Amino acid sequence: MRANRSRPSPEVVAKVRTLSERQLSAGEVEAALRTPVGDWEREEILSLVAWFRRRYPTPADRLAYVRRAYRRWQGTLGFSK
Amino acid sequence: MEGSEFDEVEFFRAVQKSGTRALLIGRRALVILGLPVLTADYDFWIHIDDAAAFNRAAGPFGLVPTRTPDEARRRGRYVLENLEKVDVLVARVVPTVDGVDVSFQDVWNRRRTLDLAPGVSVILPALDDLILTKKFGARPKDLEDIRLLQVLRSEEAKERGES
Repeated sequence: MRANRSRPSPEVVAKVRTLSERQLSAGEVEAALRTPVGDWEREEILSLVAWFRRRYPTPADRLAYVRRAYRRWQGTLGFSK
Repeated sequence: MEGSEFDEVEFFRAVQKSGTRALLIGRRALVILGLPVLTADYDFWIHIDDAAAFNRAAGPFGLVPTRTPDEARRRGRYVLENLEKVDVLVARVVPTVDGVDVSFQDVWNRRRTLDLAPGVSVILPALDDLILTKKFGARPKDLEDIRLLQVLRSEEAKERGES
């Protein structure tokens, strides 16, 4: 079977899904959240929020944007709904 | 029109009209608050007695429940699906990964309502509660979302003059 270089194999997709969907332990969550949000990260997040709210001023605009962005992302990966 | 014909605003209008006590949780709640994160599905936490009404509201949008309301209540969750996927929590209390019992009623009492379109609103948990719901699943992406929400929460506190 020839590999399709433009998209990941089903095995890779399954592995990534397993990793990203796994439930972390209470200890892992506590450890991850113990690190406070730094100034740089905070500024990045607030700048992103400011852009998003300015570009898409209403909740409906934001939801519609995310639907479009998700479809684009799926298309890029070669997935379709 | 791009993609499926699912009319999001009309869907929320139908949910509102049904009288279902339905909280939008998950990443779409973050999006509404102004955080640009990607997501495929909708996540709701509804009152344990409201599954039938929620299903009736979703029916005209082609969304089919994977369980009857009685089964859903027993299992604590179900899915409405077709072209879209709606994950539904239907439980009085859900524990976080670190052992905090979160009650629907408490979260509902602290809810915030946002206007989606003229005459259409959407109901979200308060920020502290939304952070707690992210600890139900406690996946890696939930931790990222918690950090985003923490920043939003501290910003709102600052705007209220609390810090």
